[in-house]
Amino acid sequence: MNTIRIKQGLDLPLTGSAVCSLGEASGIDTYAVKPGDYVGLVPRLLVEEGALVKCGDALVCDKQDERIRLTSPVAGRVTAVIRGEKRKLLAVVVKREGESEGCVCSTTDVRMAMLQTGLWAMLRQRPFGTIANPDDRPKAIVVSAFDSAPLAPDYDYMLQGREEDFCNGLRALASLTDGVLHVCFRPGQQLAAAVQGQNGLRAEYHCVEGPHPAGNVGTQIARLCPIDKGDRVWTMNPQDVALLGCLMRTGVYRPERMVAVVGPSAKHPQYYRLVAGACVSSLVSDQLADGNSVRVLSGNVLCGTNIGAGGYLSGYDSMVTLLPEGDYYDFMGWLLPGVHKHSFSRTFLCGFAPRSSRVQRWLKPRFDTNRHGDVRPFVFTGNFEKVFPFDIYPLQLIKACLVGDMELQEKLGIYEVEPEDFALCEYIDVSKTDIQPIIREALEKLRKEAL
Amino acid sequence: MFDRLRDFVTKIKPNFVEGGKYAWLQSTFEAFETFAFTPNTVTRRGSHVRDAVDMKRAMITVVIALLPALLFGMWNTGYQTSLVAEWWPYELGSAASWWYCLWFGFLRMLPLIVVSYLVGLGIEFMFAQIRHHEVNEGYLVTGLIIPMIVPVTTPLWQLALAVAFAVVLGKEVFGGSGMNFLNPALVARAFLFFSYPTHMSGDSVWIAADLWGSDAIAGATPLGELAAGVMPAASVWDMLVGTIPGSTCETSVIAILLGALVLLVSGIANWRTMLAVMLGGGAMGLLFNLIGANAYMELPFYYHFLLGGFMFGAVFMATDPVTSAQTNAGKWIYGLLIGAFAVLLRVLNPAYPEGMMLSILLMNCFAPLIDHCVVARNIKRREKRALLRRKEAEL
Repeated sequence: MNTIRIKQGLDLPLTGSAVCSLGEASGIDTYAVKPGDYVGLVPRLLVEEGALVKCGDALVCDKQDERIRLTSPVAGRVTAVIRGEKRKLLAVVVKREGESEGCVCSTTDVRMAMLQTGLWAMLRQRPFGTIANPDDRPKAIVVSAFDSAPLAPDYDYMLQGREEDFCNGLRALASLTDGVLHVCFRPGQQLAAAVQGQNGLRAEYHCVEGPHPAGNVGTQIARLCPIDKGDRVWTMNPQDVALLGCLMRTGVYRPERMVAVVGPSAKHPQYYRLVAGACVSSLVSDQLADGNSVRVLSGNVLCGTNIGAGGYLSGYDSMVTLLPEGDYYDFMGWLLPGVHKHSFSRTFLCGFAPRSSRVQRWLKPRFDTNRHGDVRPFVFTGNFEKVFPFDIYPLQLIKACLVGDMELQEKLGIYEVEPEDFALCEYIDVSKTDIQPIIREALEKLRKEAL
Repeated sequence: MFDRLRDFVTKIKPNFVEGGKYAWLQSTFEAFETFAFTPNTVTRRGSHVRDAVDMKRAMITVVIALLPALLFGMWNTGYQTSLVAEWWPYELGSAASWWYCLWFGFLRMLPLIVVSYLVGLGIEFMFAQIRHHEVNEGYLVTGLIIPMIVPVTTPLWQLALAVAFAVVLGKEVFGGSGMNFLNPALVARAFLFFSYPTHMSGDSVWIAADLWGSDAIAGATPLGELAAGVMPAASVWDMLVGTIPGSTCETSVIAILLGALVLLVSGIANWRTMLAVMLGGGAMGLLFNLIGANAYMELPFYYHFLLGGFMFGAVFMATDPVTSAQTNAGKWIYGLLIGAFAVLLRVLNPAYPEGMMLSILLMNCFAPLIDHCVVARNIKRREKRALLRRKEAEL
């Protein structure tokens, strides 16, 4: 196992990380498939409201490639088809009826099994972050076996008892590429020992140390197998790898996953065993102290989706973050010393505190959705580089995206990045620009151009 | 009390938005509202949490960094007058005289600062309103720097003209703070230098004769002495502390270094630029020492750091993030060249005793080119990698 050291980055000292205990998730009976979670998917609705579906039945398929399907996670009845502006399909809601047995399928061919059960949608490709094209042979597959995002769940705990399945999943993934399967662990991760003991697993293991975004698969790809134009690299989340392993071992697909409910607003942050796409409303009401205005995020605070208190877990996420809303005025906020704030710069008093967790806990930096200032043109330079571990000039790339110069974007290495890789730049940005949407829009334009 | 103020602001706010009675003051109102209260805007797209720092905080940090130099400059303005003015009311060296130096300097500097802010911010507010933009905080710094880098006897009307020129042609025509390619404070300084050379250089502008007016008492700056071919009379210690005639707040290397400390610790300014300017200036000074064709060339290289606006330029103006090179490698090249050119101009062209201003303005123009070359190297590296891989694949 070789070690990769990431120097640039930042760990945000948020409070409310999950303790290693499993909560009782009761009273959840609606589930949703949200086509919007999948970049580039053009949904075609395959079911009608009121239809009875089994676990693994396709609800939606991709108009561009009908083999790619989003399937029902449970057996039940389609109770709602939610559409937004211009009749855009937002969600297909399924209400559970009875116990779900899971979806049985043949496991002779990995690709076919994944496509049939809908697990294929969990396999993403770089560049663009779309669902992988089943006809491609990627030059590498990268699995990041840990998450370094703020309040990220601990995959050692989440995959406890499923190490065997995780290895089976890796074995199945390895058969999908002619290149290398890279698996990245954090230092001291227990899962690493379990996986390395396996015989006949064609994979390379890496230990990635350093602050966030060390756990982002994009950071790892940039070090292991940087993407040039035309390259394809696939990635999959560890829990989905374990699901794939379970599917290959038993022939049954059950999209169950562990989900951490975390955040400054969570009363007792912990883990839950849920089915993909579960409605989080009962969990949220369980976790919230009354009377607080809270934003419910599927995913982490840097790149999660605001799903609202009655929302559904997004496709790729293993965590729900409860973050206080920050719609308050701060009197002379730009002038006061600022002890209970958090800033990457040392312009506030809090910036001088050591980054050790004990001091930070005592300081109680206040994290919420307040933007802390108005939008301005880019003025400061040289800061993004401190949290952006790529051989790419971030500001120049962002500007190339803003002016829509596709050729320059390509030259500056846009294929190596996803919006999430810019999340920390966006966090520390003095000019309060929304950078992730800029990158996403540029990538989408490039993708459509390439079609 | 804050709640009541907030309620009041919320109550009068409708008057200042589109369709309100005072809609033409919208930008002004917003500027003052956000001055009092960091707005309650929440994140909508992208990252849900954001860093506490914003443009106001960043700019006020620079203003704080300027304070040591500003305070020392005020005191020194009085001190220089006290040395030569016959009317000075207190005995030199007494505590009363010390305090009166500060008071005198404060009164002399105040009109300069007020005029700079009034004219500059007035134009900024106007442009913001016409463009339906918010007022940018950049001028908080520029407006303070301009009075700090001119002779104390600068007539106020000249200053007002220079400020207007700098803000309109140096900044707003390009789209405001963040879009300009020349440092606005230096544009103002250059405007004054070339339009009113008799008020900006020579031996008779640096020391205020009395509390009012633009009369001056003759007294040469060390830089002026050198340009005239004489070794400076002031000792190294005097120049380090700053008790010499010169532009109002540029003289004290120690006060400026205090400001540098604030900028570097807070992470607002880039250490690469500062260090590179020093290295560039030092190297050029040493090179001239080797040639040694005249007295100026034989000047020990560290004198260049102590003379004129070199330090102030290196710390506060070369590091301006908008007009400097934007890549880290670029900042090294940019800084080295600024330092080298500043010393080159000083030594080889005595007609322009202060090379720092021209040197920074020159490199401001070249900063985009430097960045282009640095980024081009990155692009080439990526292309090479792709090519290599393609070849490997073919084999």
